[in-house]
Parts: sequence; C-alpha cells; structure tokens
Amino acid sequence: MNKKKLWSLALLLMLVLSTILAACSSDSSDGGKGEDKGGDSAEPKILVFGRGGDSVSLDPARATDGESFKVTQNVFETLLNFGDKDTTINEGLATKWEPSEDGLTYTFTLREGVKFHDGTDFNAEAVVKNFERWANGTEDQFPYYASMFGGFKGDEGHVIDSVTADGDYTVVFKLKRPQSPFLKNIAMSPFAIASPTAFEKFGDKFGDNPVGTGPFTFVEWKKNDSITIDKNADYWDKELPKLDKVIFRAIPDNSARLNALSTNEIDLADGINPSDTKTVTDNAKLQLFERPSMNVGYLGLTNTRPPFDNVKVRQAVNHAIDKQAIIDAFFNGGAEIAKNPMPSSISGYNDDIAGYDFNPEKAKALLKEAGFEDGFEMELWAMPVPRPYMPDGTKVAEVIQKNLADIGIKAKIVSYEWATYLEKTKNGEADAFMLGWTGDNGDADNFLYTLLDKDNIGSNNYSFYSNDKVHDILIAAQSEVDEDKRNELYAQAQEIIFEDAPWVPLAHSTPLLAGNADLVNFTPHPTGSDRLNEVDFK
Amino acid sequence: MSKLEPKSTNVAPQTDKVAGPWYEAWRSFKKSKIAVVGAGIVLFFIIVALIGPWIAPQGINDQVLANRLLKPSREFWLGTDDFGRDILSRIIHGARISLWVGFFSVIGSVVVGSILGIVAGYYGKWIDTIISRVFDIMLAFPSILLAIAVVSVLGPSLQNALIAIAIINVPNFGRLIRSKVLSIKEEEYITSAKAIGMQDIRILFSHILPNSMAPVIVQGTLAIATAIIEAAALGFLGLGAEAPLPEWGKMLADARVNFINAPWTMIFPGLAIMLTVLGFNLMGDGLRDALDPRMKS
Repeated sequence: MNKKKLWSLALLLMLVLSTILAACSSDSSDGGKGEDKGGDSAEPKILVFGRGGDSVSLDPARATDGESFKVTQNVFETLLNFGDKDTTINEGLATKWEPSEDGLTYTFTLREGVKFHDGTDFNAEAVVKNFERWANGTEDQFPYYASMFGGFKGDEGHVIDSVTADGDYTVVFKLKRPQSPFLKNIAMSPFAIASPTAFEKFGDKFGDNPVGTGPFTFVEWKKNDSITIDKNADYWDKELPKLDKVIFRAIPDNSARLNALSTNEIDLADGINPSDTKTVTDNAKLQLFERPSMNVGYLGLTNTRPPFDNVKVRQAVNHAIDKQAIIDAFFNGGAEIAKNPMPSSISGYNDDIAGYDFNPEKAKALLKEAGFEDGFEMELWAMPVPRPYMPDGTKVAEVIQKNLADIGIKAKIVSYEWATYLEKTKNGEADAFMLGWTGDNGDADNFLYTLLDKDNIGSNNYSFYSNDKVHDILIAAQSEVDEDKRNELYAQAQEIIFEDAPWVPLAHSTPLLAGNADLVNFTPHPTGSDRLNEVDFK
Repeated sequence: MSKLEPKSTNVAPQTDKVAGPWYEAWRSFKKSKIAVVGAGIVLFFIIVALIGPWIAPQGINDQVLANRLLKPSREFWLGTDDFGRDILSRIIHGARISLWVGFFSVIGSVVVGSILGIVAGYYGKWIDTIISRVFDIMLAFPSILLAIAVVSVLGPSLQNALIAIAIINVPNFGRLIRSKVLSIKEEEYITSAKAIGMQDIRILFSHILPNSMAPVIVQGTLAIATAIIEAAALGFLGLGAEAPLPEWGKMLADARVNFINAPWTMIFPGLAIMLTVLGFNLMGDGLRDALDPRMKS
C-alpha cells in the first residue's frame, strides 16, 4: 500500500514538473529573442513593442484611435510628414509643395520610383483615387476626413473642391476656402495613401489587409494580442528600415507591461506609470523615454445637464480642484497645470489667462450665488483605463471627489468599460466626466475647434459646450492665413472659454515610455504615432 | 384534550435535551485550543468593528496628499496610502464593512436557503426536483463568476455585492438543509407528530428546523469567511464598495500600483483579510467538532 502511494506521488510530481518545464521552455523561446539581436547582421532584428490596447482598424482612414495609428504609421506614408519631435511640415511621399497666393490651390510634386507593397505604382493617379475614396464616403466610414475637411463631396462645409493629377507626379488640390491648417491636416496619419488596387479589391476588409508604401509590410494580426509587420525590402529609401520585424503586443496593465519589459519579453513599453519612473531609471538595462507633451487631461462638465448648465457652478468646481496636488501625487510631478484647453507648446496659446486658482472659499461663495448653498449630489465619471493624458483616472477621481466634498458637493464615482464610457459620455449621460485629448497635428484648431465647437457636439465635444461667438471666432481662424491674426483669434476664443468654464482643464502630462538600453534612434512623437524606420539595436 | 397530554410530556424532556447538547458542545469547543484562538480573533475584529469610529486615529477619507506613501511610523502606525490617508484608520473602519457584508450576506443565504431547502426536502416530488435543479445550475457556475454576473446586472455597489454574495451561497445552505430534512423527516418523533395531526408548518418550524440547525451553524461560520473573501474579491475588481469606502479588497486593489515602492499599502489590508478569514475558519472547524455527534468520543 505504502509503495503504491509512493509511486503515485512520484508520478504526480513528474506530471507537475513536466508542466512547469513545458511552460518554461515556451517562455524562454519567447524571451530568447532578446539575445538574437546581437551585432551579427545575419540575425534578424526584431522589435517587440508593448502597448496598452489593440488596434481597431488598420485602414488609417477609418481609424480614430491612437493604437491603430501606431501601426499604420509604419505601414503607410503620408504626402507630408511631421518632424521627428514636432509637428513641423517635412517631405513625405511628396517632395515639394506650393500653395498659391490666395491659399486656394496647392501643388504637390510626388516622389518617383515608389511602389506599394502589392507592386502597384505610386503616382498622381493613386493619390487622386485615395482622395476620391474619402470624399465619396460617409461620416461612419471616414470620420477623420469629415472633421478635418468639413464634410464630404456635396456638403456645404467641404473644404476640398477638387484633386486632380497633372502628369504622373504632380497633384493639384483646389480648395473652396482657404484652410490654414491644410498642410498639417495632409500630414496626419489618417490621410496616408493606400494602394488603390488593394482597397478596390478588399473593400470593407481593407482594414484587415492594409497595403501602403511604408517601410514595413503587414504580416499578421492576432486580434487583441499582436500585430506583426515585416521589413519592406523594396522600400524607396534603401538604408531603411533598420529593423527586420516589429511586433506590436497588447498588454493592458501598465505594471504588467513594465514587468514584461524587465523580463525581456518586450523591447519597448508604452504607457509607463509616472510612479515607476525610478524603477526604470534605476535599472541599467532599461532607458526612459519622454514623449513631448501635446495633450490635455480634463474634467468635462456636461453643460446641458443641471446644475452644470449654470456657469457659476462650473466656475465653482474649477476653483474647488487642487490641480497641483493631483499632479504632484499622480503624475509624479511630470505634468504642467492646465489652464487652457490646449497645451502651451502650440502656437496661439493664451498665457495671459490667469486660470482658476485652488480656492475652496471662493468656490463655496460661487455655489451660494448659484443657489446651491448646501451643495448637491452628482455622478463623477472616471475612465477605467490608463491614458497618456491621465495615468490613473480612478485615483485622480478620488481626489476630485474629496475636493468636491470639501465645498459640499457629494460625488459618486462611476466607471464603465472604456468603449461604453466613451459612448455614454458622447450621449451626454454623465454629469461630470474625466477625459483628455492628444493632439493630431499640433494646431490650435485641433484642440479648440475639435473639442469645444458646437459643430462637434456628438463627436469630440463631449461637454456639449455651445457658444456662437466662440464658433464664429474658430471658423474665422480656420480661414485666416496670417499667422499673427490667427493666434490673436485663438487667444480671444480662449478668453471666452475661460469665462464660460465648460471644463476643468487638469494637466498637460508628459507620457513616459521605457525601452531596452540597447535600443537606439527611437524618438517618441508628440502625436503618439511613432515612426520606427530609424530604430535599431546596438 | 387527551391529545394535549402526551404532547406536553413530549415537549418537556425535549427542552432538557436541547440544553444538554448545547452545553456539551460548548465544553468540547473550549477544549480545542485552536478553536478558542479562532473565536478570539473573531471577537477581536467584532469589537474593532463596533467601536471602530471611536478608536480610529483618523477618518476614512482624510486626504493629505503631502503625506502620501509614508512608511509605518509612530504617527502613522501602518503607514499611509497614496492619498496620504492613515492605513490603520482605514483598516479599522474597513472591519465594519467586511464583517457587515460577511454576517448579513450569510444570514440572507441561510434564511432563503433554509426555506427552499425545507420545502424541497419535506414535500419532495416536483417541488424538490425544481428547487434541486435550480441549485445544481447555480452550483455549476464558479461562484465568483456568478457573483460578478449578479453585480453587473444590479450595478456595482457595496449593497449589491452583499446581495450577490448572499445569492451565490443560497444553494449551499439549501442543499445542506434539504439533506438534513430528508433524514429527520423519517425520524419517529416526526411520524408521531404527523400521527397526532400536527400541521405541516408547525412540524417544519418547531421540529425539523431546530434539529437541522447544527450543521447550518458550522457551515454559516465557515461561509462568513468565504463571504468576506468574496466581498474583498469583488472590491478588488471594482465591483464592490465605492470610493472612498475603506473596503479591504478595494484597498488591496488601490495598492497594486505601489506594491514595489510602498509594500505596506498592500500588506496590512491583506493581513486584515487573512486574519479575519483565518479566525472564522478556525472557529468554524471547532464548532464542527463540537456539534457533530459522530466526533464525540
């Protein structure tokens, strides 16, 4: 009997051991990639990029989320590119661009000898076909096109009159009215040029079969897990890309992602908790990257819902929140206090605005004036996921809850799954909600008009703020070509917005990334979409 | 009239008998040192929960962001969390929440479970089939998953977490009582009660129920431990207590981000959960030994 027991115990032990060993072996084959990267050029150089979520679509024209653009930015190219660290205009697929005197005609000269991954030639005709595809679409299909170019063919606000090919390598854009951010818009990731053969062939499935001209070609997409892209051997710049393969892996939890980086499972991690800064800098095998700040995290007050339809209440909330304490505690100090809806790095920022100081007494007085001497009850919505502009939404919400309690407002913290959260706030179901925005093109228009104009209620104006005067100024600024006059207009708009207090602007954060110490030439881009063609391993 | 005569003589010795076994159980419970330790821990936490608001050095949400993540010190015995709140105070206040959820969810499941179990066991036939199959279905789900589903339907709050935990524990008590009822109803005293024409309700509540309570008490004590863990799990997942309530599971979840640089934010709430659960488990084991007639020498 005893012997039998011993045998079964031994068998059990063996089973357990083999399971553990099996688990280990798959681990080490994953982690072993780290060693493959050595100096030997025969070894493939693979970069594994860990990030917070999966892409939504790999058709850049259809996507609206940063995680999609992170990938498409490397598979596709735009006519113009942003600078490495800023949003200046540089050559992309177009080598020359000339606006006419009146700002109504733009002539682009295209790069020659470029081919799409499927062998189709890149030429003026391909560019025209891409713009025709978008212009004939719907809001549902191409939301970014609609919001950047004022609608679609036939719409009154549609900015682009025509796009025509003049010979093989010249494209002429004719506009209905001058649009000052036009070139910046053209450089945005959503307006990357796709292979006409491919999008005609795949139709709605193009998002799963992306074909562009970029330095990497699409290989495989395992939904909610990873996206693999390979080096494009026929890339027009023979020197690039340096890497052979890039794998984008979705790891939702910030700490788990950092952990994966320290165990060499991934080489680059997006979204590092500010509190983990020291963990990264203390580790000689890791390096810390700071993404230049071009975002705003805010507490939106739904302007149509009582009591936030009262400007005094909104101002009171603005005075009640201790932004500096929030930044010190939950951004590890790595953020700037926000007083305007756009970051100071963008031209047109109005630094003369004083901002609402932290002053609970004044807040109480304002509440009293508004007739809410005893405060009121409300729901405070907090985002469930870490965002670049808000590393820990629920904790910041807890501080805000306390700040509000101090002036007599009882807030209940509510959270939903991320997609539901966005949907419900878009419908105006929240009293107050935390949200933020990362700029796409570094233009003031991309913050003020996109987030606070009445035209964008139902898309990105989540607070339902509507002020006709602001609307007129913002539209005038869109058509104003003179830079100084334009900045003056934006300064005015910010003054009115400050008085109306549709939000509590909280912080402009500096998002953090961490990578292997032997990673070189990685420069995080302020828009959040990084070009990886120069990235290499030592 | 003559009917009353045998009944009263029947009752009198029974009350004697009831006093007997309880006293005996208490004596054998006292003998088990481990059980007494368990009971001591439970008693300690009950006292803390009762007088908590008066002994806690601070309130539950006294945020002083300048004091965030301080190590345990003379001023803050168990350190501070990332809002600069005193962890000791929050654990003391949290005891009330955890015990409250533990007790009341178990009482809820005992009441509902007993009624269903008695009905199923006593009447049998199709009623038994329906109730038992429903129990089977509920037990087929992993209990925490079922709790998550219930909370998702009701909406996350402490009260709904309590309801969810009560619901998922109903089949455990229901089955226990049903099996006990099945054996008791064959006993002679029940047959005689039926023979003298006693009503079903009275048989059920004055004879069957009291006689099937011993295992329920044991199971109940152990279930409080599970309920506390489940409440903490729901709190950890953000489906239980709402901020700023100092529910232990939620405290653990909040501490996750800082567990490397400020481990005390995680260790102490974790210890509190562990100790209470341990206390209830030890006490439950002791009660089982004391109340189970088969365990007696």
